[in-house]
Amino acid sequence: MKKFTKVAATVMAVAMFASVFAGCGASTADKQFFIGSTGPLTGDASAYGNSVKNGAQLAVDEINAAGGLNGITFKFDMKDDKATAEDAATGYDALMDAGMQISIGSVTSGSCESFASKSVEDNLFFITPSASAASIITGRDNAFRVCFGDPDQGTLAAAELTSKYKKIGAIYDTSDPYSKGIYEAFDAEMKKLNVTFATQSFDQENKKDFSTQVEALKDCDVIFLPIYYTEAGLIAKACAAKSVNAVLFGCDGLDGVASQIDSTVKNSIKYITPFDVNSTEKATADFVSKYKAKYNESPDQFAADGYDAIYAIYEAMKAADVKDADVKPSELCETVKKAITADSFKLVGATGTMTWDASGACNKVPQIVEVQ
Amino acid sequence: MGKTKASGFMPRFKLKHYIHYIVIALFLIVMMILSSNGMLPRATITLLSRIAYSIILAVSLNLVVGFLGELSLGHAGFMCVGAYIGCYFANFLHTVIGSPLVVLILSMLVGGLVAAVFGFVIGLPALRLKGDYLAIVTLAFGEIVRNVIKNLPFFGGAMGLNTTKYKPASLFIVAFVVVLLVLALIQNLIRSKHGRAITAIRDNEIAAKAMGINVTFYKLFVFVVSAFFAGIAGVIYGHLNTPIIYTVFSYNYSIEILVMVVLGGMGSISGSIIAATLITYVNFVLQNKLSGDLAALKLLIYALILIVAVLFNNAPALRPLREKLNFRRLAEKFSKKVRHPENIRDDDAAWNRIDTKIKMDEILSVELQPNGAFEPDRKKKKKEEK
Amino acid sequence: MSILLDGLSLGAIYALIALGYTMVYGIAKMLNFAHGDIIMVGAYAILSTLTMTGNPYVAVIAAIVVCTLVGILVEKLAYKPLRGASPLAVLITAIGVSFFLQSIAQLAYGAKSRPVSLPSFGNITIGGVQISVATVLTLVIGAIIMAALTFFVKKTRIGRAMQAVSEDRGAAQLMGINVDRIIMITFAIGSALAAFASLFYLMQIPSTSPTLGSMPGIKAFTAAVIGGIGSIPGAMIGGVLLGIIEKVCQSISVISPYTTAIEFSLLILILLVKPIGLLGKKRREKV
Repeated sequence: MKKFTKVAATVMAVAMFASVFAGCGASTADKQFFIGSTGPLTGDASAYGNSVKNGAQLAVDEINAAGGLNGITFKFDMKDDKATAEDAATGYDALMDAGMQISIGSVTSGSCESFASKSVEDNLFFITPSASAASIITGRDNAFRVCFGDPDQGTLAAAELTSKYKKIGAIYDTSDPYSKGIYEAFDAEMKKLNVTFATQSFDQENKKDFSTQVEALKDCDVIFLPIYYTEAGLIAKACAAKSVNAVLFGCDGLDGVASQIDSTVKNSIKYITPFDVNSTEKATADFVSKYKAKYNESPDQFAADGYDAIYAIYEAMKAADVKDADVKPSELCETVKKAITADSFKLVGATGTMTWDASGACNKVPQIVEVQ
Repeated sequence: MGKTKASGFMPRFKLKHYIHYIVIALFLIVMMILSSNGMLPRATITLLSRIAYSIILAVSLNLVVGFLGELSLGHAGFMCVGAYIGCYFANFLHTVIGSPLVVLILSMLVGGLVAAVFGFVIGLPALRLKGDYLAIVTLAFGEIVRNVIKNLPFFGGAMGLNTTKYKPASLFIVAFVVVLLVLALIQNLIRSKHGRAITAIRDNEIAAKAMGINVTFYKLFVFVVSAFFAGIAGVIYGHLNTPIIYTVFSYNYSIEILVMVVLGGMGSISGSIIAATLITYVNFVLQNKLSGDLAALKLLIYALILIVAVLFNNAPALRPLREKLNFRRLAEKFSKKVRHPENIRDDDAAWNRIDTKIKMDEILSVELQPNGAFEPDRKKKKKEEK
Repeated sequence: MSILLDGLSLGAIYALIALGYTMVYGIAKMLNFAHGDIIMVGAYAILSTLTMTGNPYVAVIAAIVVCTLVGILVEKLAYKPLRGASPLAVLITAIGVSFFLQSIAQLAYGAKSRPVSLPSFGNITIGGVQISVATVLTLVIGAIIMAALTFFVKKTRIGRAMQAVSEDRGAAQLMGINVDRIIMITFAIGSALAAFASLFYLMQIPSTSPTLGSMPGIKAFTAAVIGGIGSIPGAMIGGVLLGIIEKVCQSISVISPYTTAIEFSLLILILLVKPIGLLGKKRREKV
């Protein structure tokens, strides 16, 4: 064993040294602005990561085709974080080693929290397309977002549901930050409005069988689902199996639920979203047709958010007239922050007309879309 | 071992016993120099810290699996307890104590101790249960820990626990110093009479009991020590990654640690160190190489390592092949050292290598007859049969 | 009432899986960790044949055939070479096989969960309670399978040979029983039961993913332990008990987030207090 150990240890040491310097060689050859990000390209949440990536890449290609900014083109890269905090941190390090100057953060809330905590140290500007947890932008000057915050959606849903329905139920995922964030705001708002409602929950380990939850809420007029579309599809099917005809009302995570249900589902499904694929708004319709032409599929809200995040960065940099391709992340952050929070700054994107304030939250108008 | 050159029982200084420390310490010093000159990319520094806690995890799991011979599938659970408790405590300590290093050390101790308490609790069923049942209990433990921590609001629930971050460039140095300490402790434990008692329990519990070994004590002891180190690894993990999210510490993570132990060889500390480094490194490299569903290839590799390594090492039918491909044998062949009882030193393992078996039909002696006829016994026998 | 029924039909699934665990454990003396993943294989077999032929009955038969073959193959390639090796080695290999099947499924079908549409038979109303026909079917077929299995083990030649192997492998071999063959048959039956489990699973939860089997697998093992490993009626009782406990816990919103913890605590508690389970046989360790 001794010999083997020695040999193996030597090989390992050599390999590690090689890896140590591997990162150094990759200095930026062309003068480009480097926008980095991380997102789940594999695993359960991979649909979101890939959508954001496609949307962002579409925007970058468009900008570059139009000549970039002051003749400097953009480069976009998304590292896979599998929706985990750990891999988001690794991805962040790899991107910084590769010369990232500005970022669209991470796709999911958990990873973005990790990404954001690292970005503060470098004062790197990022505008996340879809990480909606409230904590990501609070207390961080460099953090911005394109999507709604979780609490906003919860409050909005509470107002909407209490005004239209009598018996209200809710099913949420206790193990998901997104779901829990919305639910807590919803719960708080319902208490404020003094309306009682029935609650059921599920978690990561038990997210397949919803018969109990649906059974408990069978008398409700509406079931609020602050969850993602895969589980919502299963809940819709469970409703169909138990002949429960409540309206299913969700948030932007429900985008894509149409692919998960079949003809047996009779329930009406509605959700809050800033992006409606069938919208006739010019910016949205343009984006949808370009996306379809490039990827041969309909964009979802995540793709639209990714697209808008890139344009937010581009427009802000254009407003600030950034000319130096070698600009340091920290300098760029200050410039872009000033530009994006300026009163005159307004972005007309695929998800509507957006403005930002210093908190990093995005102001835009939500819509309610009905699936069937 | 009367004829050993190392007189008496005083251990002689042997390079072999210290090779781990020397290699790791040298490695650490080189990395420290590189890091202080800013020559290390950030990604490498993160990788180094990960390797450090992986080594601690693998070595501590090896203590249970390789030396005590019980399968634990809840190692990530101990790590989870350590990470949450230690970092929660650290968050509190930061408001009281100014020195980050002191906070780090204290939080490691607290995280480790609380994990050790859990190790004691899980060690209790180990007294009554063996093998498959115990494996399931440890697995259940890991799931319970995750489930409960998820629902405790002060640990941040689904959003995870935000920790005070340390600069990875300084954290990895502390982490490797901890690795050295852990190795020193575990190796001394294994080489002591306690270590021999533990391996005796592994080899035959009833015989060990008959020899007067306190099986109850040693089983609990191993679980507690192993959990303690896993807890420390968890604290290092927590200070490296913020937020800590409970989903990481799943059954799959426990299996990943088990893969390290199995690949390195159950009961081999050096093996665990090498395998932990290798697997962490490969993981790190593969992270961005395998996108989409190809990420399952990693799982496939783990699965193959588990199946092939275990089959190769344990299948009764493969014994001849195993003998042929034995690393130790190969190494001996290269170094051309003759294993002779005269040369055997205090390393008792070498006694195993002296062949005491007599093969079937082996010619051990011949009778030389006065008339010069030369006939081995065997042929004579055959003639008689005729 | 409705919760009890839901629990009963979930319990029937657990019971079927637990039967597979119990049989293999009783006869081969090993914990087949990959058993849960055989269910996943069955679910994908149903998905594939359903999309190819559209006929649910063909799909069910295909699932049974595929599961049985995979079960036999796994036994031949991974477990048989280790007969006589330490239990630890066998257990680790079984974990490896479990990972192997999961990763192959992910490579072949992707990690995303896929909807499976088996025909739903609608609902019937018995005594004012609405029950889905799928639930009734699960219960009825589950009961038939268990009765048949008990008959098989108690009355047939192979069944008695199984009992003999379970009692004392060496002695059984001396009596002229082909132990390897008996163990293979055990795996085949256990895997075929897993195919039924995957059918019932899909009837209640119409979606499949590569990790579909792992949680039900572990929970079914819990059920097998509660009932007493090695006992066929024990597996049934344990499965149904666990199913009902799970559903009752889930329906109470205060403790529903802790459902997993409660189930596993129950497992640890039973192992500590009564390691042989409700109906298990006591075994003495020989020197």
